[in-house]
Amino acid sequence: MTLKYSAYTGRYLRVDLTRGEIKEVETEEWRARSYLGGNGFGTKVLWDEVPKGIDPFSPENRLVFSTGPLTGTIWPTAGRLEVIGKSPLTGIYGDANCGGHFAPELKFAGYDMIIFHGRSKRPVYLWVEDGRAELRDASHLWGKGTWETEKIIRKEHGDERIKVASIGPAGENLVRFAGVITSGRAAARSGLGAVMGSKNLKCVAARGELDVEVADDEFFDYAYEIQQQILSNEYTPSTSRYGTPGLVNPMNEISRFPTKNFQRGDFPYANEISGEVLEKKFLARRVGCFACPINCGRAAIVREGPFKGTYTEGIEYETINSLGARTWNRDMASIIKGDLLCDDYGLDSISTGGVIAFAMECFERGIISEKNTGGMKLEWGDPQVVLELIEKIVKREGIGDVLAEGVARAAKRFGKGAEYYAMHIKGMEMSAQDPRSQQSYILAHVTSTRGADHLKGFPCIDETGYVDAAIKRYGEQYLPEIVDGLSTKYKPMVVKDGEELGAVTDSAIVCKFGTHFPPAYYWPELARGISLATGMQLDVAELKRIGERIYNLQRCFNAREGMGRKDDVQPKRIMVESGTGRASGHTAGPLLEPMLDEYYELRQWDKKTGWPTRAKLEELGLKDVADELDKLSRSKRARK
Amino acid sequence: MAKRIVLVERPPLNTCTGCRICELACSFRHDKTFNPEKSRVRVVRTEYGISYPIICHQCSKPPCVEACPTHAITKSREGGLVSIDESLCVGCGLCVERCPFGAIILHPNKNVAIKCDLCGGDPSCVRSCPERVLALADVNIVAQRTRTTWVESKSSGGG
Repeated sequence: MTLKYSAYTGRYLRVDLTRGEIKEVETEEWRARSYLGGNGFGTKVLWDEVPKGIDPFSPENRLVFSTGPLTGTIWPTAGRLEVIGKSPLTGIYGDANCGGHFAPELKFAGYDMIIFHGRSKRPVYLWVEDGRAELRDASHLWGKGTWETEKIIRKEHGDERIKVASIGPAGENLVRFAGVITSGRAAARSGLGAVMGSKNLKCVAARGELDVEVADDEFFDYAYEIQQQILSNEYTPSTSRYGTPGLVNPMNEISRFPTKNFQRGDFPYANEISGEVLEKKFLARRVGCFACPINCGRAAIVREGPFKGTYTEGIEYETINSLGARTWNRDMASIIKGDLLCDDYGLDSISTGGVIAFAMECFERGIISEKNTGGMKLEWGDPQVVLELIEKIVKREGIGDVLAEGVARAAKRFGKGAEYYAMHIKGMEMSAQDPRSQQSYILAHVTSTRGADHLKGFPCIDETGYVDAAIKRYGEQYLPEIVDGLSTKYKPMVVKDGEELGAVTDSAIVCKFGTHFPPAYYWPELARGISLATGMQLDVAELKRIGERIYNLQRCFNAREGMGRKDDVQPKRIMVESGTGRASGHTAGPLLEPMLDEYYELRQWDKKTGWPTRAKLEELGLKDVADELDKLSRSKRARK
Repeated sequence: MAKRIVLVERPPLNTCTGCRICELACSFRHDKTFNPEKSRVRVVRTEYGISYPIICHQCSKPPCVEACPTHAITKSREGGLVSIDESLCVGCGLCVERCPFGAIILHPNKNVAIKCDLCGGDPSCVRSCPERVLALADVNIVAQRTRTTWVESKSSGGG
């Protein structure tokens, strides 16, 4: 039986890298119906197939590349890729998502998903074309940067339309925050590039000419309607013009811009690294992801100075913060250079900047000295230090070998109280949302299933206050607190909603630009779009249940790995030190526990353990999951 | 003068970003499916992120018409549209080889030549382009607009 739903290819691949075997499997109806695609597919694979307690670098770990039902269609922003696996950085559930053009090509090549397991003896890559797949030798690609890898593959196959998702030397050298890169777009959080490296898998290359068909022709006109809805949203034009770098100035103004390793929330030189400066001095051109009407990508080029000629596709707000303000670096050209290095070596630029800022602070405080750094002075704001540390991390040279493990492990290694300066949650370096200035993020960071994260709850409503969207989405009765960044009121509701909406967008797969920010469309539009595409007849309630199911299953995966409420904490620094500017006098401390209580209650999770209750899991059709967790807690009690 | 699809950019906003929505709109309009290989418009993207949609210019002296051994391709006298009669096309690909822009393609399933037919006057790609850089226009009118814009940019600030 072939899959009865449209918009899927109806097939996925299981690739056993140990044996070099590829199996084609039909996409199961239950999988599509209960987990939708992308993020949901990967979550289910991880729960079912990754045993508790395994080393993420062991052959047993799974690495999933997944598309969704909307991938490859004209639905606005439906060009994204999901990569899922157990994270070597956090030891828990890990995922990463990126735009570009790879995911649709994989679908045109005939597959909804690829599940890798095992470990190849030699470097290999997977070649996928028009419903066929084979493993090929990648010895000659090993050691190459991601841009060169793509170029070589296209040349070898003689087809410039091939899309490639690869790792660079960082993934090969098992840097714990290495990412998967496709033409400068990075699925890089969670360190899944290192999992790929541990499997000796260099890249996946795809080329396809197969159709993606939808159930109802009306889908086409409806997608156009949503496109127009996005384009006419009042926040879209600035996003289109400045991209995410346009956030630098506004976020700095509200002191939500982590600076000097979270010593402060504002950077006095922000206007030297802003979206406006990028446009004026460095913009090469605007570049778009597949099927995206917003086109926030900013290709940048350095036109003068020591980094002259550096070209990078898609410098983002996060990178400008991490390689800029976070390390007190005000030299935009060096940030662009650093962005290129991260893309080419295959690094998560967020964690990279985080770990460099951590090292600088440890140096400042005397926790480490020139003895540890091989004579390097890790001075705040020195662009050369930032770039040199990137090189050392990738090559795992000297201090770079320690920093390549991420801030949590590096802090243990340094000792002397270094942990206080390690800005991470569950092992993941924090992204650029200082929660002291936006209280919803106190909660969103800690309830994210992959560790510190801006993209799970993605609560934008109270950032600078989107009143219209707040009224439309939640109702007038929650004003004014719901849009007040410094209020915690109603934020658990907002975070929970964002997490479930996010689980669905990451499964469909569409960008959160459109659903979360700009807040242009929401549950009803997604339900209708997915229904028209697949023929599933999903209403909002059922789509929400899918989102909730996926998110709960991620939480259960982490519970199985031993995580619970005790791990839902912010780094101590922001719990005790106040923020700056509008966050003066505000910490992320006293408000966390009451918000968590309210959040667990809304989620029907046990307030003591932070685990989903049996009742909730059974309601979501996850009885077997509840049984397994029960067994686990029984054996835990027995051991006590 | 005949109308054709033209690219009108106004940087830094309104540029071709390579999102390929036009390709998807074209394939759906003609084949009711999403498949860029069945699109009559093709977005080329270079290594440095430069994107450019390639589409039939409805040439005045179309090399494809000359190349076609079965006279399947004709240029209409009044509208200027260059069109292919699929029933006469043998799929030899000579027109594909001769087109100086690569704007004619062999359909991957039907194995006949396909090209922009202006969607009967309401082109799907033009309607869908989020950057509004595609337009159905007479090139001489475009030139007129370009002249005006250029002159205005020279005289700005003069009151």
